[in-house]
Amino acid sequence: MIEVSIAVRLKAPDPAAMTALSTLKRINPDTCPGRLERYDYWQFINPSDGKRTVEKIVSHFHDIVNPNKQYWSFSDESGSILSGNEELVWTEVLVTDKVDSISENWTDILRRNKYEVEKVMYSVLWRLGYPSGTSMAEARERTLALTITSYRDHGLLANPISQNIHLLDQA
Amino acid sequence: MTSKPLVAVLQFPGSNCEYETASVVRGSGMDAAIFRWNQWKELSDSAPDAFILPGGFSFQDRVRAGAVAAKEEIMDLVFNSAQSGKPVLGICNGAQILVESGLVPGWENGRIESALAANHIHGRSGYLSRWVFLRAGKRALRVSPWLRMIGSNAIPVPIAHAEGRFVFAEKDNQRVSECVALTYCDENGVETADYPVNPNGSFMNLAGIMNKEGNVLAMMPHPERAFWMWQIPPWIPGVWGDRRTSLNHDPALAASKGPGALFFRSLADYFIIP
Repeated sequence: MIEVSIAVRLKAPDPAAMTALSTLKRINPDTCPGRLERYDYWQFINPSDGKRTVEKIVSHFHDIVNPNKQYWSFSDESGSILSGNEELVWTEVLVTDKVDSISENWTDILRRNKYEVEKVMYSVLWRLGYPSGTSMAEARERTLALTITSYRDHGLLANPISQNIHLLDQA
Repeated sequence: MTSKPLVAVLQFPGSNCEYETASVVRGSGMDAAIFRWNQWKELSDSAPDAFILPGGFSFQDRVRAGAVAAKEEIMDLVFNSAQSGKPVLGICNGAQILVESGLVPGWENGRIESALAANHIHGRSGYLSRWVFLRAGKRALRVSPWLRMIGSNAIPVPIAHAEGRFVFAEKDNQRVSECVALTYCDENGVETADYPVNPNGSFMNLAGIMNKEGNVLAMMPHPERAFWMWQIPPWIPGVWGDRRTSLNHDPALAASKGPGALFFRSLADYFIIP
């Protein structure tokens, strides 16, 4: 299986990320990250011509990437929009709706438009940056606690009843 | 109770139904006051008898509908008041806030036990704005201060949402019948799990759920938009549509109450005979 992933973010500061960070600072001040970034994360499964197919899709569908207001890059390339600010300890968590109509709809749209992609999956990627000196184990533990909304005052970024949460292996 | 009961209508950044909600509360013989999300002290000092979280897009639905508002300090007051038995109603975005607050279904207080997920039924998804029919659960009719006058017939009420599909953890699915408040049905009161009767794929056709005591109700349809008969489309099938049609060109139409008024009259009645 070939999977090509892209990350998309606003050129302007992301208001959802800013609101999430200020909310986390209020409810979980001791474990809150110093930085919080939010990305649209698209995974294209088995594109016929790999990254070239995905580049064509991105340039054609401005609902996926609006070049006037968003940056994008492949997630696995050096110099991607996911890299930078190495002074912080970064963790990454993917939040995906269990029943995901965005992915279903885009898979249909691409098929109807003759793009050879087996499946599209949409998620929100949150990047949490902790102060240097934080161990990766602690950062990952904090990230899970801040992501999974278990009680009214515990967690924010995902509701585990309706969403899947996937802590990525390394930032 | 000598003075009129006071119903607090909470306004978060992005709420957009607070004024009509307060208006229908007053139209039901109660007092209503709108409190902004940062008026914790004013709300606390006024000691309201009931709370309504109106519809809209609190905090622009950032992160997840209702998720940010649920963490606001003012919700501590709503949470504690609900625990003490005061009636709390969440309409649409207000329902999403109550779900994200862990007030409903409330099997364990404050624990997040359900979600209002994106509409999804038989390949249909996205924002829905249409009229639906509802009926109340038998237990809910007895225990909820918001539903005691609804009766057993189906009533038409509009919906307008993109995330209104009640879901629960699989391990809890057996318990859901305890919290059934309102279900989607056809004009004859018959439930089916198919579109358009169930418009969004909600589990057990749920349109509203309540906590086990019944004082907290989270519902996706908008009763304040069906409060007056002139708000009801004449083409609606069933008795409410017939009544609306019979009032065409009748001056009485302006002052006649619609099916949505039953929710607010229920509360007014509750304050007379708890």
